[in-house]
Amino acid sequence: MLLDYDRLGWLRAALLGFTGLVAAFLLLPVVFIVLLSFGSSRWLAFPPPSWTLKWYEELFADPAWLEAALTSARIATMAAILAVVIGLLASFALVRGQFRGRNTLRGLLLTPMVLPVVVFAIAIYAFFLRIGLGGTTAGFVIAHTVLALPFAIIPITAALEGFDKSIEDAAIVCGASPFEAKLRVTLPAIKIGIFSAAIFAFLASWDEVVVAIFMASPTLQTLPVKIWGSLRQDLSPVIAAASSLLVLLTLSLMIVTALIRRKLSK
Amino acid sequence: MSGNFLHRQPILRRPDGIGGALPALTLIALFFVVPVVALLLRSVTEPVPGLQNYAILFGEGTYARVFFNTFLVATVVTAVTAIVAFPVAWMLAIMPPALGSIVFGIIILSMWTNLLTRTYAWMVLLQRTGVINRTLMDIGLISEPLPLINNLTGVTIGMVYIMLPFMILPLVGTLRAIDPMTLRAAALCGASPFDAFRRILLPLSLPGIAAGGLMVFVMSLGYFVTPTLLGGTSNMMLAAMIAQMIQSLLNWGLGSAAAFILLLVTMALYALQLRLVGAKRMTGGI
Repeated sequence: MLLDYDRLGWLRAALLGFTGLVAAFLLLPVVFIVLLSFGSSRWLAFPPPSWTLKWYEELFADPAWLEAALTSARIATMAAILAVVIGLLASFALVRGQFRGRNTLRGLLLTPMVLPVVVFAIAIYAFFLRIGLGGTTAGFVIAHTVLALPFAIIPITAALEGFDKSIEDAAIVCGASPFEAKLRVTLPAIKIGIFSAAIFAFLASWDEVVVAIFMASPTLQTLPVKIWGSLRQDLSPVIAAASSLLVLLTLSLMIVTALIRRKLSK
Repeated sequence: MSGNFLHRQPILRRPDGIGGALPALTLIALFFVVPVVALLLRSVTEPVPGLQNYAILFGEGTYARVFFNTFLVATVVTAVTAIVAFPVAWMLAIMPPALGSIVFGIIILSMWTNLLTRTYAWMVLLQRTGVINRTLMDIGLISEPLPLINNLTGVTIGMVYIMLPFMILPLVGTLRAIDPMTLRAAALCGASPFDAFRRILLPLSLPGIAAGGLMVFVMSLGYFVTPTLLGGTSNMMLAAMIAQMIQSLLNWGLGSAAAFILLLVTMALYALQLRLVGAKRMTGGI
């Protein structure tokens, strides 16, 4: 009865206890960093001697942090839009196309997700240096679109595979052009997939560190590069404050995603 | 209407061609394949044509140590992750949904939290005067702070933390797909819970463990951020060594040779994984 929750007996208590421990382990750093950001100790003593908001004040007083966050948001938005559009087009070919090498093509388009980022990072760094895109926003966007593309293709192809093509055909039979049928019948039907693709693609760029470290210039750095730079210097509590805001962002993104998914699936 | 229908028939039959994939293909060819191939070419052309970069990498003890560290950490991380993930995935597969969604929420929150944020937290938690050492000393388990950071212990803890969701989530799928009746049948035939686990549940979940394990192993081999921040300079792993060769030493020949070795191992394991689980099942993982 090992797969019957109600009949596991003592084993259930043991497994539940273990699951609780692992959940606590997964939650620990996230909660810890938020608490730390309100602690008054510059040397990160914990529990902190008293509570304060001064690290947040220091964070907002330094325009470099805000600038880095805006740069990240700008690059991630552009990369996500590009990845979703290109990924959507590719998904139709990957799911419905009948041509030789379709599986090879799928494998190729998903490779950026599998190849260690550090290999891609130095490759694109060298390439962009040569063609003059090093340290530019365009270079950042292109590199991040490559990395975000698999994260767009996976949910969209999954949604498209679950969509019955005969509904689209019915629209064509009723007089819609193939393009119109795709736009007004198929796209609304796979909107959850497209929405997930947008979120994943955005996060793939927003959180990306390795390519960004190589691509960054003194005048163009993303938030992860800024955090990386600070981490290499010292473990200042200001990083905890910035990190807590990122946790807040993650939480709001999770809630928005859950709400939108619920609304879209109605 | 019927005339219209017949007229439209050929359009319906025409499948989507490769056309839609062309923008993606162009992007990947131009900004992924070309740069990577160009990089790998540098490994056999710089500073002079030949295989001397590979000879250096395989010939010198310093590099052998880096390769050893990398495989050791990836192996330990994979094993620990699998052992910790299995019971959790097992519970998640059969838990009441209300309770399960809390655990899923925590897993997703941890997974979606910025990688640097999570690593920073571990840097603070694991340091000499950090919470973990303090707590262990306060309750009298140790008298000296344990060296938990700037060594492979720190890297392993941080990596297991990051890899756990990648193991738990696919395993839940595998475990949910197992028909509970097979276990009920085993119990009816007199199998003890331990026998049922060893001879039915574990073998049936093996494909999921293998797929997740391979993914974790491959990801660990090429990981850069966490090993660099938690491992310190004397315990370098492969990805950090590659970055250092390029960024600080400007030794493009040696760096790209090391990158080629990493790429080769990764792609071989990726191919193995595709064969094991099939491209479709793996890509449906998200």
